[in-house]
Amino acid sequence: MTAAPSPPHGAGIGLRQPHYREVFERRPELAFVEVHSENFFLEGGASMQALERARAAYPVSLHGVGLSLGSADRLAGEHVASLKRLVDRVEPALVSEHLCWGAVGGVHFNDLLPLPYTNEALALLADRVDHLQSVLKRQVLLENLSAYVECRDSEMTETAFLAELARRTGCGLLLDLNNLYVNARNFGFAAAERLDALDAASVGQIHLAGHDVVDDCLVDTHGAIVCDPVWSLYADAVRRFGPKPTLIEWDTDLPTLDVLLQQAAQASDIAEREAVHA
Amino acid sequence: MPELLAFQSDFAAALRDRTRTPAAARWLAGEADVVDRRIAIYRANMVAAADKALSAAYPVIRQVVGGEFFHGLAREHQRGAPSTSGDLTHFGATFDAFLASFEHVQDMPWLPDLARLERAAHVAYGAADAPGWDAAALAAIAPEHLDAIRFRWSPGLAVVQSAYPIVRVWTIHQPGFDGAFEVDWQRAETALVARDGFAVTVSDCPPADARFLEASLRGATLADAASATLDRHPDFDLGALLARAFAARLVCGVID
Repeated sequence: MTAAPSPPHGAGIGLRQPHYREVFERRPELAFVEVHSENFFLEGGASMQALERARAAYPVSLHGVGLSLGSADRLAGEHVASLKRLVDRVEPALVSEHLCWGAVGGVHFNDLLPLPYTNEALALLADRVDHLQSVLKRQVLLENLSAYVECRDSEMTETAFLAELARRTGCGLLLDLNNLYVNARNFGFAAAERLDALDAASVGQIHLAGHDVVDDCLVDTHGAIVCDPVWSLYADAVRRFGPKPTLIEWDTDLPTLDVLLQQAAQASDIAEREAVHA
Repeated sequence: MPELLAFQSDFAAALRDRTRTPAAARWLAGEADVVDRRIAIYRANMVAAADKALSAAYPVIRQVVGGEFFHGLAREHQRGAPSTSGDLTHFGATFDAFLASFEHVQDMPWLPDLARLERAAHVAYGAADAPGWDAAALAAIAPEHLDAIRFRWSPGLAVVQSAYPIVRVWTIHQPGFDGAFEVDWQRAETALVARDGFAVTVSDCPPADARFLEASLRGATLADAASATLDRHPDFDLGALLARAFAARLVCGVID
């Protein structure tokens, strides 16, 4: 498995349609921009043109939200083929997917649903990731999930599952620290301790985002600034793993571009400060 | 059945039908009432994803009926015709048929045709980029071969027939529209949906032009499409239509 060129270590933002014009005009200094792969499974038109403009200005990270790698009954071949066409067209610096399932029996929930972290699921995911990486001819990063339920049959933690998946397939990990924090709060564990299972070389990217609190549950909305405990976790992660390409992820209630750039600058500052102690 | 498939089948059933929650809950850790509430978050996400996808594809219908009612339409449509793809662009392809049968929108009988128009516009938005063909290229074809040519139309080009003023309804709901809002509900309009560069255009298409374009889009030769049109519209002006089509870069070539 040959690793594609990584984006320069630094911070990037999710590039969303309302910000296209401003980003192309201002060309803010960013290590990379990230888009959802499925929004660009199109043959042509305005969206594809915008992606090509973004690609001309920045390294691009393709982040999949609909592949459902963990569906027990089938992997959608046409979805893999669409992703392959997009990867060939964009030549992204990073390609990532989620450790999740989202469809069964022909019905798609278009959501990121949690898996039981069992050996059965690990064997399935290892096959699927092997297949995906061989079709795409490149390394893929797998992201840890935010979740509101956990399976009682799990035989290992999610991070231990991901570490083993990386060992078996050579895939990298997209460490979403907001997701880890959301789960730590929802299920009552210490987020930082879960990082012990991971080694620095397998972490290919970090995601930072905000969440909402609904009753007794943290809900991962990607609609707020990064909270202080997640910034602390980020500092911890940089000390452990060194600086990594880091994304400010924001999908709902989109703020002004300047808010995203400020969050990205904060991530860069922390990475610079903490990398000294790494 | 392997455990993973059994879990996913039970969880999926609980998302689609709240009464099936207990079967899903037995796979999950935690108190029953907490698990119920947590599954409800996923159930709401499922409807929100359907609403978001349909809102992107059918923005005019959403404006017409209002966001809250549209959310209900999304939930009901998803119940009967759930998403089958991880790419939500495909979701809602049969929204027109749902609207035609859904009892609470029968007072808006034009809604299904408006849905077909918006679907065509949604498809055109992401259609392949193709340069228009120069009219001179047509002039270069030997006259004796002209009858047999079949045009290759601009990707995404579509004709949507209606007995209602769907083009007018679509037009007055476009962002930035600042004209008068009157609609002549007696008027039947056929929409021509096309791409102009990266912009999607919707225009009122005369019935004769629509008949010709529909035949040609189905692959009829120039002669067959023209004669099918002249049968019903004796005053059809093929030359004028082709001049407009070439000027709008709707013709991209001929099919070999």
